[in-house]
Amino acid sequence: MAMFKRIFTNFRVIILLICLLLGLFAIYPNPWNTGVSIKSIAKNSSAELAGFENPKATIAPMGRERILAINNKPISDMQAYFDFVSKLEPNQTITVKTTKSSYKLVTKPKLRITELNETEIVLVNETVEVNQTVNGTTELVNQTITKQVEQKKTVQEIIGIEPLGFSIDNAPKSNLRQGLDLQGGTRVLLRPAEEVPRETLGLMIDSLKERLNVYGLGDVVVNEVSDRPDFLGGGNRFILVEIAGATEEEVRELLGRQGKFEAKIGSGTVFKGGQDITYVCRTAQCSGIDPNRACGSSPEGWSCGFMFSITLSPEAAQRQSALTKDLDVVEGSLSEQLVLFLDDQEVDRLSIASDLQGRAVTDIAITGGGQGTTEQAAIEDALKNMKRLQTIMITGSLPVKIEIERIDNISPTLGKEFLTNALYVWLLTLLGVAVLLVAVYRKFIIAIPIVFTAISEIFLTLAMAALIGWNIDLAAIAGIILAIGTGVNDQVVITDEALRGQTGVVYNWRERIKRAFFIIFSAYLTIVVAMIPLLFAGAGLLKGFAITTILAVTIGVLITRPAYAAIVGLLLEK
Amino acid sequence: MGVKDSLLRVYDVHYKKLMVFSFLLLFACIVSLAIGYARTGEFFEKGVSLKGGITMTIPINYAIDIQAIERSVNTRFPAADIGVREITEGGVATALIIEAADVSAESLEAALPEFGVVLVPGKYSIESMGSSLGQRFFSQTIRALVYAFIFMAIVVFLTFRSVVPSSFVILAAVSDIISTLAVINLIGMKLSTAGFAALLMLIGYSVDTDILLTTKVLRRKTEGGSIFQRTVGALRTGVTMTATALVASVIGLLFTQSDTIKQIMLIITIGMVFDLIYTWFQNAGILRWYLEKKEHGNV
Repeated sequence: MAMFKRIFTNFRVIILLICLLLGLFAIYPNPWNTGVSIKSIAKNSSAELAGFENPKATIAPMGRERILAINNKPISDMQAYFDFVSKLEPNQTITVKTTKSSYKLVTKPKLRITELNETEIVLVNETVEVNQTVNGTTELVNQTITKQVEQKKTVQEIIGIEPLGFSIDNAPKSNLRQGLDLQGGTRVLLRPAEEVPRETLGLMIDSLKERLNVYGLGDVVVNEVSDRPDFLGGGNRFILVEIAGATEEEVRELLGRQGKFEAKIGSGTVFKGGQDITYVCRTAQCSGIDPNRACGSSPEGWSCGFMFSITLSPEAAQRQSALTKDLDVVEGSLSEQLVLFLDDQEVDRLSIASDLQGRAVTDIAITGGGQGTTEQAAIEDALKNMKRLQTIMITGSLPVKIEIERIDNISPTLGKEFLTNALYVWLLTLLGVAVLLVAVYRKFIIAIPIVFTAISEIFLTLAMAALIGWNIDLAAIAGIILAIGTGVNDQVVITDEALRGQTGVVYNWRERIKRAFFIIFSAYLTIVVAMIPLLFAGAGLLKGFAITTILAVTIGVLITRPAYAAIVGLLLEK
Repeated sequence: MGVKDSLLRVYDVHYKKLMVFSFLLLFACIVSLAIGYARTGEFFEKGVSLKGGITMTIPINYAIDIQAIERSVNTRFPAADIGVREITEGGVATALIIEAADVSAESLEAALPEFGVVLVPGKYSIESMGSSLGQRFFSQTIRALVYAFIFMAIVVFLTFRSVVPSSFVILAAVSDIISTLAVINLIGMKLSTAGFAALLMLIGYSVDTDILLTTKVLRRKTEGGSIFQRTVGALRTGVTMTATALVASVIGLLFTQSDTIKQIMLIITIGMVFDLIYTWFQNAGILRWYLEKKEHGNV
């Protein structure tokens, strides 16, 4: 008992125990945490309208807002959430209780528009410019006229509810963040096609973030990485994007594009994405599957058209009027078409009705299409293409072209297996090392502090990672295993020095530990300097390995190994 | 005890022969790397993460003939270079790894079900690496390796403040990396970026026993005992250290499910075995030989 008291009153052991306690707070484990945690909120969704806000990327997992109950029915996990949501009716008001407050949320109906084989006359408002004589001077004035248009009759039917707009996850059990290769998702490494100044790269990152946000992907990390440290000039710069829950195709189309949208008549540009477009309609009233073009099937599959309306700036409308003024009329349309280009590739051609000739029209419909093996698939593809095009039109073009250098799509189930497997490997490794050391020293009591120290090192490294918001991925797991290996090596050095004391040598304990730490410090420094170049190689993709290793060996040398030396010294001092 | 004593006697009497053996081994490894280089133009085979291409990881829970799949996909895509491996966990196959260069992920995904590989959407992973990025990664990781060596050498020189023994430590680390690369090449393993990270880690792992040896032999003259006795003192500690590292890396190698971790562990395991030879035969021998010569010179 006296020995225990001496161990637990030792200065170095107390420091270790305090660090472990702080580590516990940093990780904040709670295996009984329930509810579903909100990862992101979709734009214009029922959730956003109810007042939910997108969580900040920097917030610790346990600090995220969690949904606890809907309509007083407890929501314990994702399954419960989806079960509840699937039973909701359109235009229903529900109460969502979260860890922060309580929200009133109204479900939106999901509509299907089917067109009938009849036509109807509808009135459409259109803004046109007319010459008007006011007080003797003639000037161009915007005027809204109401036109009668004949179009096919459509019926709307409610087929369910729109998604509520929550991107959710099961409640986190601790503050540890899992890297992409453990939780699954898509990782893309992008490189500007030409060298750009740092500020431009920052602008590109902002645009890409906005694109992902407008598209509705909230749980995203966008970072700048370079393959040389800044004080050495920075080297090549890349943009690393990590997205949980997106398909590879979506990411490729959304991030791999410069997004230069252009509409031309002949060789003249009418408008460009971004500045020339003042409004892009995304509501069901003026965007969706094109009612004027029915979905059609061919031997290759189905194809469907989409349309959405946009509003042009007066300048762009003016350009359109100038470019159409001198065109000929052929069978009710103008001789030149309005051709839409995305990144210099033609995406669609629109005929211009003859009555628009020379008029500065600000409202235009943009069309396009999608394909699929079934009608439903074609509709979905068309809507997806529409959403992408809308996103790019809203957010505008990147300053330079962008190239996808690397794209990884990692399955969440595979990641989960890796994680349980890694824990199991950690345990087996510890067991193996303990058995070996007991066999070598023939003292069972040695195994206890060695295993305790190794576990403390793993724990403190994880705590540090949680604290600085570092993700634990496969590379980090490998780094921790290897760092624990060096930790055990150092413990062997300490133990041997301590045991030599028992065989009666000239030096006192303090001197022997000092000697052991000379070796430990030199070995520590070689590992750290060997890892430093890795922080930058491979565009930062090996950074996780290097950082975790450096973190783990530093914690070992500064905190756990001194404590181990003290414990072993006291245990063997008899 | 008898065996141990006679082994130590051999180690004492024949240390020069053991030293020569370690140098011959190093020479053989260099020759093997050079032959590989002459034949393929590369010192080792690069994995897709260093030359560009795709890696698919597909979980399996059914028996599968790896060789047959590899043959079939390579016949289907004659222009591509496709390798198929399996990941085993304690002897049971749990996942299939397909590494392919010069073929698109889409066409592979379309072809695989024909050869009996079940692809469930969302249950398998695809990583694709652009070839220009792969090239860049490769030159950067080589550079990182060189820098790591230079930094390590500086630390070692600062530690011992004595040029000759420090160079022995560095020589041992260089020999370890070269021999590990030679074995990687011989077993036909394709080196990935993670493998490179393991090589860097190996620098740290191999140098610590050399530092232990040099410290004990060089700086503890005052503790008494001959150079050999001090070497044996270090040997006990050093072999225990390497043995624990080997236990950890072999367990990792046998039980991990991740290809990345598997490659790291394999490289560390190979490197640790070489570390035993280069620390206790080469570094200890050459250090003893140098110190004894120096002592004789002084007398």
